[in-house]
Amino acid sequence: MSATRQIGAIIKKDVIAELRTKEMVVTMVLFVLIIMVAFHFGFGETKDFAPFAGGLIWIAFLFASTLGLNRSFVHEKDEGCLEGLLLAPVDRPNIFFGKMLGNLIFLTIVEIIAVPLYLGMLNLSVNGSVPLFVGAIVLGNIGICTVGTLLSTISVNSKMRDMLLPVIYLPIMTPILMTAVIATNGAMAGFVGKDGPQMYAQVMSAMKLLAVYDIIFLLVAYALYDFVIGE
Amino acid sequence: MKKATYSLIFAGGALLMIGFAIAFLVAPIAVSESGKELFNQKIFYYHAPVAETSLLAFLLGAVFGALFLIKKERKYDFLSLAAVELGFVFGMLVEFTGVMWDKAAWGVWWQWEPRLTTYLILMLVYAAYFVLRSAVSEDSTKARFGAVYAILAAVTVPLTFLSIRLIPSIHPIVIDTGGAHMEGPMLAAFLISMFGMTTFFVALLLMRYQAQLTAEEVDYLKNELGG
Repeated sequence: MSATRQIGAIIKKDVIAELRTKEMVVTMVLFVLIIMVAFHFGFGETKDFAPFAGGLIWIAFLFASTLGLNRSFVHEKDEGCLEGLLLAPVDRPNIFFGKMLGNLIFLTIVEIIAVPLYLGMLNLSVNGSVPLFVGAIVLGNIGICTVGTLLSTISVNSKMRDMLLPVIYLPIMTPILMTAVIATNGAMAGFVGKDGPQMYAQVMSAMKLLAVYDIIFLLVAYALYDFVIGE
Repeated sequence: MKKATYSLIFAGGALLMIGFAIAFLVAPIAVSESGKELFNQKIFYYHAPVAETSLLAFLLGAVFGALFLIKKERKYDFLSLAAVELGFVFGMLVEFTGVMWDKAAWGVWWQWEPRLTTYLILMLVYAAYFVLRSAVSEDSTKARFGAVYAILAAVTVPLTFLSIRLIPSIHPIVIDTGGAHMEGPMLAAFLISMFGMTTFFVALLLMRYQAQLTAEEVDYLKNELGG
């Protein structure tokens, strides 16, 4: 089987499993909504969420992604599918890409539902550039799923399981989170006024860094995955 | 090897003493641009060498981790673990001295200043390393996961450092002075402390490594005797 077919088969398997249960996407969307309500209470009387819009969005997505990432491997492990996957004539790196793209699809679906809700309910709007806003989210997602897939494979093979993932995953995600927040904030705030050009330059350098991080993390995860998934 | 370790630790200790002696007795007190004397700059002779050593330790942790993954020899896992452990201890010292300097220079204990923040994230990343190791029961898996995580963490560190630069710092970085405007006794004190701290670190690394080898031997003997 060619690499694309192997990856495709793994994605297809994950999508079918998800279509049957729908638990991952539904849980993640609910979680994102709950966090939104928590933000509302956490910020007290604040009505203007614009200054930290990017932060709110990314914190919600990052935390929601830990739920999905955990799920994606706990299933495999509990049902003994991981052994099956390892025994199947599939190259190890292709398992990584298959699982990672599967996670990416689910996270994207969650965001397609959640972003409009966030914009509507927190009275936010994308004043700067919509393509930049979408681009930042896509790049951020790639980073989340790359690191997340590698680390959730580790956490599911440990004694602590779900508890371990946030502890090892969130600090490692800091560079992605920081650049994604800067880029998203900029894209939402717009580049008007005296500081406009400077803001734009900052957002663009954040976007570039974000893309570079994605590539670096992809390469590292690709190289290390073989050592993580099994003997 | 034991003898070499001891001589290294004494050499490192002696160099550190000499470095601090020069820093406090010979080197002049730094003066800010406005002409104010900055006695708190003295902490720099300790703070910077510790910071450099902890970064070196984390880097070594990743290098030994990679060697372990390639060669599958247990000694590299011991070395990697020892390096990360020491890096963490030195990192805590960086954080403490940084906070002390904050209080002296800015009047607050904690400032969300790029450098301090980067180090805090670094500490969180490596604290998770120990959680990860303790969450795995089997020794070989522990070593494998530890090595993978040490490499991933070392990749994250420079990235975090880069991205935090994007956030405009509201504070002038006063003590950046260090390398740039140092000369004479100040530079001598700094270099001697730096070299001493690195030597001291290498000695500690070797000691920790030997301790782990001994622990493994004891474990083995215990099993021989029937638990």
